[in-house]
Amino acid sequence: MIFLLKHFLYAFTCTIGFAILFNTPKSSLIKAGFSGAIGWTVYTIANNSSPSIVFSTFAGAFFVALSGEIFAIIDKNPITVYIIPGIVPLVPGYGLYYTMRSILANDYGTAAERGSEAFMVAIAIAAALTIILSLNAYRKRRLMRIK
Amino acid sequence: MNLVNQKKLLVMAIYAGEIMLKNGAETYRVEDTIIRLCKSRNYPYVEAYVTPTGIFVSVDTKGQEQKDMLSSVKRIKSRNINLNKIAEVNDFSRKFVEGDMSVEKAMQQLKKIDELPSYPLYFQAFMGGIASAFVALLFGANILEFISALATSVIVTFTTKKLSESGFASFLNNIVGGSFAAFFAIIFSYLHPNIHVDKVIIGAIMVMVPGVAMTNAVRDTIMGDLVSGLARGTEALLIAISIAFGVGFVLRAWIFFNGGGIL
Repeated sequence: MIFLLKHFLYAFTCTIGFAILFNTPKSSLIKAGFSGAIGWTVYTIANNSSPSIVFSTFAGAFFVALSGEIFAIIDKNPITVYIIPGIVPLVPGYGLYYTMRSILANDYGTAAERGSEAFMVAIAIAAALTIILSLNAYRKRRLMRIK
Repeated sequence: MNLVNQKKLLVMAIYAGEIMLKNGAETYRVEDTIIRLCKSRNYPYVEAYVTPTGIFVSVDTKGQEQKDMLSSVKRIKSRNINLNKIAEVNDFSRKFVEGDMSVEKAMQQLKKIDELPSYPLYFQAFMGGIASAFVALLFGANILEFISALATSVIVTFTTKKLSESGFASFLNNIVGGSFAAFFAIIFSYLHPNIHVDKVIIGAIMVMVPGVAMTNAVRDTIMGDLVSGLARGTEALLIAISIAFGVGFVLRAWIFFNGGGIL
């Protein structure tokens, strides 16, 4: 529990840092931090119980998008403002670095393994975002029809 | 509505799209905004085609007369991320569609949005350092690595931002950023045996890693915008390669001077 709390706080601070790098409006900084922190905590929990990093990333990104969507509806801001800083901790920078290092060590087998894993992680993040965004687009279409 | 007004409206809609696209909005959002802005002022026919490198819009009024059809093309040369401007343009387009703002006033507001200041450079560099240091913590760094990642990343963020302000190509910026990250990580690793090069570098390159381009590329491709997907994918690949080149170059040189065997 303390471990999770610690990770929540780390991810929160780190997402706010990235949010400022991306010039997020001041009023949305804290919310962006929350969506990043929620996503990373889900990722950590999933990672502890499943061996697949791709699945954990999918779960994490799913919750980033879900909380981002909720904040976006409350604040009437585009969802981009919350998810772009929020997904950064999940992005496979780690995988990219090890791919490069394996290439340096002439270990192309490991490089291919790490590289394809990084690629799959990117696809998992995008898939999670796409699912949530499509559901929201469907919700908006139905609202329009009722009006 | 006369033709001059139509032309002004089209120029204004394209300007709004340009601001969004230049600051990192998704292509479907830009298309959506342009179509909404044009349709709100009595254009039954609007077609917008947006890729990360350009905007193409055609508008027409009702009827058979060919002279009413207007088209415009806007080339986008540089892209970075400024979420504040995207949110502002989004807000502006909602107001424009719902109220009856004049096109001239809309143009003034867009100009104001385009010139909005970003956070000061020193603050950005510092927050970049904080962000990277906490990423390093997330991947299990100790307190010494935390401090070195912070220091390294402040330097890296400051350098890359400064270079891109001076108008250098992003390929070059990222090579410089990557090599700075590796260089300072190696220097810090000599200060204390508990500081590992890996964790510091991972933290420091996190501010440059093309996460946004990567996920947007896959997302555009899934949604059927194949050309945008390819363009963004190429951008992501280019950034990843340039970072790897910068980091790899310095690490390789270090191995060479050390006589090998650090990995």
